[in-house]
Amino acid sequence: MILGKNDNVAIAVADLNEGEKLYVENTEIILKNSIKFGHKFAIKLIRKGESVVKYGEIIGVANVDIVAGELVHVQNIDSLKGVRHV
Amino acid sequence: MYRDTGLCGYWNEDKLVGIRNHVAILGLSPFCSQAVKLISDEIAGTIPLPQLHGRNELGENLERFNNSMLNLALNPNIHSLLVVGYEPKTTLNFLNEFKRKSKKPVDYVILLENGGMIETVKSGAKKALEMMVNASEIKKEPINLRDLTVGVKCGGSDATSGIVSNPATGKVVDRIIDEGGTVIFSETTEIIGAEHILKKRAANETVARKIVEAAMGNEDLARKAGIDLVGINPVPDNIAGGISTIEEKSLGAIMKSGSRKIVDVIGYAEIPHGKGLYFMDSPSAAHEVLTALSAAGSQLVLFSTGTGNPSGGPGITPVVKITGNPRTASSMYDHIDVNISQVISHEINIEEAADYLYLTMIKIVNGKLTRGEILKNWDFSPVPTGL
Repeated sequence: MILGKNDNVAIAVADLNEGEKLYVENTEIILKNSIKFGHKFAIKLIRKGESVVKYGEIIGVANVDIVAGELVHVQNIDSLKGVRHV
Repeated sequence: MYRDTGLCGYWNEDKLVGIRNHVAILGLSPFCSQAVKLISDEIAGTIPLPQLHGRNELGENLERFNNSMLNLALNPNIHSLLVVGYEPKTTLNFLNEFKRKSKKPVDYVILLENGGMIETVKSGAKKALEMMVNASEIKKEPINLRDLTVGVKCGGSDATSGIVSNPATGKVVDRIIDEGGTVIFSETTEIIGAEHILKKRAANETVARKIVEAAMGNEDLARKAGIDLVGINPVPDNIAGGISTIEEKSLGAIMKSGSRKIVDVIGYAEIPHGKGLYFMDSPSAAHEVLTALSAAGSQLVLFSTGTGNPSGGPGITPVVKITGNPRTASSMYDHIDVNISQVISHEINIEEAADYLYLTMIKIVNGKLTRGEILKNWDFSPVPTGL
């Protein structure tokens, strides 16, 4: 499920397995990780430092390069709001 | 679409509408909590409000405590009130303040003056008995949505909150506002990262500034305390549910507020001064928000949950639990009043989900019980300051 224009992530609405082939906006994506229900995966390459977009809004920034089909979660994106280093 | 013909409620002595007609037993000090529970156990149908706070409070905390308790007592769902105090001074002060603002039946017992717990419970139970008899005589009369203040809250958020239960709640909020009603949403940490959207919905520049200041105030509070906001929010159950950052949580969370203009920002437990959509600057934990929403006069709360937050609030305000997560609908079935998870399987769309929620809300206004009311799943806390 893709929620907004310009989103670079999609939401899994069922548990998905690593290696599964999906068609997102007519592009084939092979999942690099298993994606649990409600979790997100990249639908295109998101380079380190680029914004992660869901609901058409910025939800954080990639802290490594994230390839299409990869799980997008706390291990590879940072909040722009949190006070991580105090 | 369902039309809300035949809404009924109780017009109380304050010329306000209750959708319940409760006799509440309010403790003013933690020392009175056992007496409150015993009185309520003895007198069927009363709502116990046992106290955790109220001793040695100072400054802002004391003010917040007093305001929250007074405003809670003024909630239109309370027909009459029995106050259980520890000592005379604070108890009588509270009573005088209450009588200045309300014509509702009120009485009191005082632990130190009634001769200890057993005598206090005996005396309190006699008074509560008469209150129940009188309250039960009151007939329901026609009311309108514009007579209602509805609180909205999300808790135990996961990815389905932002896709299903919050957007459906938001659509119902829009209908309540369009009918001339009042809605309050809150949770300041959960507008962080979404202020730019809410700012555009502010009725005027002043309100826009207040919204941004509330969010920035919370960020400052965290920074000054050396707290990692990322460590507080999203919380572990949010992360397990697929939410990665506070912005993501906020963008999902604000959907429950619908799309209408925000007429003002109010403080913790403050009663809105007019109709329309209000933002309450408050902490985000469920029981604290539910206490504040009740104190602000909410006769009903719509509570959207992903992972199944069970918090039930102070008992005087029915809390309608809504989920868009099919697993939660079964794993926490005894807490869920409205299951709209069929949106995920594409069996219904979000408009149909909102219609179903609206219909259920109307039934609950008219007396259908929430699962939380039946389980007596009550908890409340007028919070000191915090995030």
